Amino acid sequence: MTFETLTLLLPELALFALAVVVLLGGAIRRGVAMGWVTLVGLVVAFALTFTVREGASLLDGAFVQDSLALFAKRLFVASAALSLLGSLTLRTGAFARRSAEYHFALVASLLGMAVLASARELILLFVGFELMSIPLFLMTGFLKRDAVAPEAALKFFLVGTASSAVIVYGMSFVYGVAGSTMLSEIPPAVRDGPPLLMLGMALLLAGLGFKIAAFPFHMWAPDTYEAASMPFVAWLSVAPKAAGFVVIIRLYLAGVGTAALIWTPAIAVLAGMTMVAGNLMAIPQQNIKRLLAYSGIAHIGYMLVGLAALSSSGVAMLLFYLIAYTFGNMGAFLVVQAVAQSEQSDRIEAYRGLAQRSPLLALAMLLFLLSLGGIPFVAGFWAKLYVFWAAVERGMYGLVFLGAVLAVVALYYYLLVARRMYIEAPERPEPVHVPRLLGVAIGTCVIGVVGMGLYPAPWVTLAQRVAATLFS
Amino acid sequence: MNRLPLLSIMTWAPFASALIIMFFARRRPLLVRWTSVVGTGISLVASIWVYWTYDRAAAGFQFQEAFPLVPSLGISYLMAIDGISALMALLTAIIIFAGVFASWTTKERSQEFYALLLVLVTGVFGVFVTLDLFIFFLFYEIAVLPMYLLIGIWGSSGDIRPQGIFGWAMGRTGVGTKEYAAMKLTLYLLFGSAFILVGMLALFVATGSRTFSFLELQTMQFEPALQTWVFLAFYVGFGILAGIWPLHTWSPDGHASAPTAVSMLHAGVLMKLGAYGVVRMGMGLLPDAAVDWAWLVGTIGCINIVYGALSAMAQTDLKYVIAYSSVSHMGIVMVGAATLTPTGLNGSVFQMFAHGIMTGLFFAIVGLVYEKAHSREIFKMGGFGAMMPGIATAFTIGALSSLGLPATAGFVAEFLTFLGAWTSDYPWWLFPAVIGAFLTSVYVLRVAGQIFWGPKAPDPHFQHLPDAQGPEWAALGILVFVLVLFGVLPSIAIAPVDTATGQLLLRLTGQ
Repeated sequence: MTFETLTLLLPELALFALAVVVLLGGAIRRGVAMGWVTLVGLVVAFALTFTVREGASLLDGAFVQDSLALFAKRLFVASAALSLLGSLTLRTGAFARRSAEYHFALVASLLGMAVLASARELILLFVGFELMSIPLFLMTGFLKRDAVAPEAALKFFLVGTASSAVIVYGMSFVYGVAGSTMLSEIPPAVRDGPPLLMLGMALLLAGLGFKIAAFPFHMWAPDTYEAASMPFVAWLSVAPKAAGFVVIIRLYLAGVGTAALIWTPAIAVLAGMTMVAGNLMAIPQQNIKRLLAYSGIAHIGYMLVGLAALSSSGVAMLLFYLIAYTFGNMGAFLVVQAVAQSEQSDRIEAYRGLAQRSPLLALAMLLFLLSLGGIPFVAGFWAKLYVFWAAVERGMYGLVFLGAVLAVVALYYYLLVARRMYIEAPERPEPVHVPRLLGVAIGTCVIGVVGMGLYPAPWVTLAQRVAATLFS
Repeated sequence: MNRLPLLSIMTWAPFASALIIMFFARRRPLLVRWTSVVGTGISLVASIWVYWTYDRAAAGFQFQEAFPLVPSLGISYLMAIDGISALMALLTAIIIFAGVFASWTTKERSQEFYALLLVLVTGVFGVFVTLDLFIFFLFYEIAVLPMYLLIGIWGSSGDIRPQGIFGWAMGRTGVGTKEYAAMKLTLYLLFGSAFILVGMLALFVATGSRTFSFLELQTMQFEPALQTWVFLAFYVGFGILAGIWPLHTWSPDGHASAPTAVSMLHAGVLMKLGAYGVVRMGMGLLPDAAVDWAWLVGTIGCINIVYGALSAMAQTDLKYVIAYSSVSHMGIVMVGAATLTPTGLNGSVFQMFAHGIMTGLFFAIVGLVYEKAHSREIFKMGGFGAMMPGIATAFTIGALSSLGLPATAGFVAEFLTFLGAWTSDYPWWLFPAVIGAFLTSVYVLRVAGQIFWGPKAPDPHFQHLPDAQGPEWAALGILVFVLVLFGVLPSIAIAPVDTATGQLLLRLTGQ
């Protein structure tokens, strides 16, 4: 390990140091202090990602800091910081007593994601997965005295471990055929296409399907979202899925070339099913968290459409979609937190007349929902448009048409929420109390959603630049 | 040529007044209204000016404004009008100007109401005057989305409900309520926009030259297979908004539940926007497919005419009668366009205008009657002519135009369309069209006779009803004036339209 190696690992090292500091510091100071330490640490880690030389490769190519890895890391850290702003407003009960544990788990999971984004070797990939997932199980069951939290954590844990097992199983086939755990050794082997390798890759896809909650591997998402604490769910709905996509891009697209085309039907079918299932199952939901969970599943389907296009622009649009989804979905969940804290309810009825009680909060929620629904002048419109665009370039009109029609279905259940907020009369006149930090987080998401909607060009350029390096 | 960016002024003036209303007019209802009047008035003046100074000898697209927005994707802010869109912009301006007066008495949350209404109008103007497909789509969405809130918040639920099992089912599903209507309308129209979006992307990718400009796309020859399905996508997508059978069912529910100004605007202008889309995008960009599919467009148009008229006859709710009459009249528009003859196409465009004004007038009157009598049930009302002579006269003039009496705009439109149908490849279209015109006279005269000119209803609520007042006169007066003016002097509309339809047909049939 030279000094240069260490400088390339600065973001990961910073996260590791932060985890240690938070864990030890928790023994000295209780309360929200460790939350603030974490927030500062995340800002530092975010800044450090810019010091890394792009395209560097470590450990014989097992660990790369390419532009995709750095892009993903910035997304993970930024979304974690947003979620942290929300959780800093929770200052009672378990959050006061065990603040250090919560933040330690958050940073540890983040470190796992960071490793995952850079890993180009199967074992490292798996270690990254476990490092990411285990703290997530813990955080889901964080409110252990709560009736539903342990159940949700257990469910999440069982499904998560099962999917990890499937992934390892698939990896064993891949290793058996390719004779190496390095990802760079897989493409030559794929070209010959032995069936056992295909089986291994299919198992890997199924395992990764669990991680990104694609249909039919999605069942854990709604239950987990419903039971876990709010700002954490906002993050859970975004970051681990983004991590899963990075791995999928690395495994199935990067460097594989034309051999990747055999995955088009599988990914296209997965995309179609996920869009249909997510959108249809969201319709009857009465709980806003479950509604957003199913709508999130549908969005995964749209991202898979971009992936199915198997082109540089397809991947670029998937990455753009991820950013838009991060702002829109996290924003919506943060509003849900604000309403839940004030109304003690996650039901959609709690939003009745919100526009007259708290016009700004309702407007923010409307913007997030419209963005998720893919309406012009907010981020989600461009995200959907670009994904469709990439698919049309590949001649996948059927998938695009399905997606476009299902976007209308999605708008139906988003408008049901809008109807509660804008059309129905409020039950109580007083405004919903929004803690200041939560307001800052929501405001950031609004700026993101509207900014990307009005001027998407810089984000598109960024995504295209990242994707281009993968296909060179 | 004029140096003022007239088209941009026309489009954005309502938007500017919407912003002023949102930020400066909190709890000042009168300021809200006058700002709306000024904003839409500027649009009206601009549209008349454009219409008047449009160079008919030169024809083609004029008043062009262009600057690139996203050069890498070929998206530019390209505004220009030809004879067809000039007439449509004029229609929009007249209807909204009258609509602002017709909804003068809106009490609840009037600030938001007017702001949303004006934003919507910006979208409508934008669709008519832009020539960039992408910007066209954005304006289209602006024109559709505010409708959800406008109907959902300020709309009214129908109070007539059938007995027995149907009544029970309607109660369970919420059919007939404003929330149901708002959701149905929004989803139908967005469903249509999904078709449009896919078709647009397909054309964009097929060109390979990275442009959304209508002027450039117009010069390209797309391969027949692509044309065939993209035309169908455009026809279904825009056709939903134009109320084509069997995708029209959002229209009666939506229009009956919407507040007055919104019904006026939606039935009067937005449905035309659908027909305009079929003509401009479908026929303009895909000439071969337009010829191939003319039989379908015209046949469904015939079904619309008869089906809409029969449905209108069966209604007992006044607003539903008018709404179904729109479905019927939009059939005439589609038949006229499908004839692919100069006369028929001129008639089609003229019918868009005539029906827009007429239906705007009808919905304005229904709104006024409802406000004074608090009823929409045709057979409970009666003898209103004695109490509100002004409203009764306006309604009767509208009714006469609706059934195509000479000296009203409706006559010119229907006559031209019928003539076009007779000289087209499908002369039998004439028969359903004439039957439709006959059925129209049955149901409008029945309504006019029952409510306004028949014996007085026994209900004590209907004994002392006021006539139209103040600003309401402005709304009625403008619309009746235009209806008669264009009926007596149809050439002021047909001359510019003819320059545009001639060029369009030249590409379609080579004649």
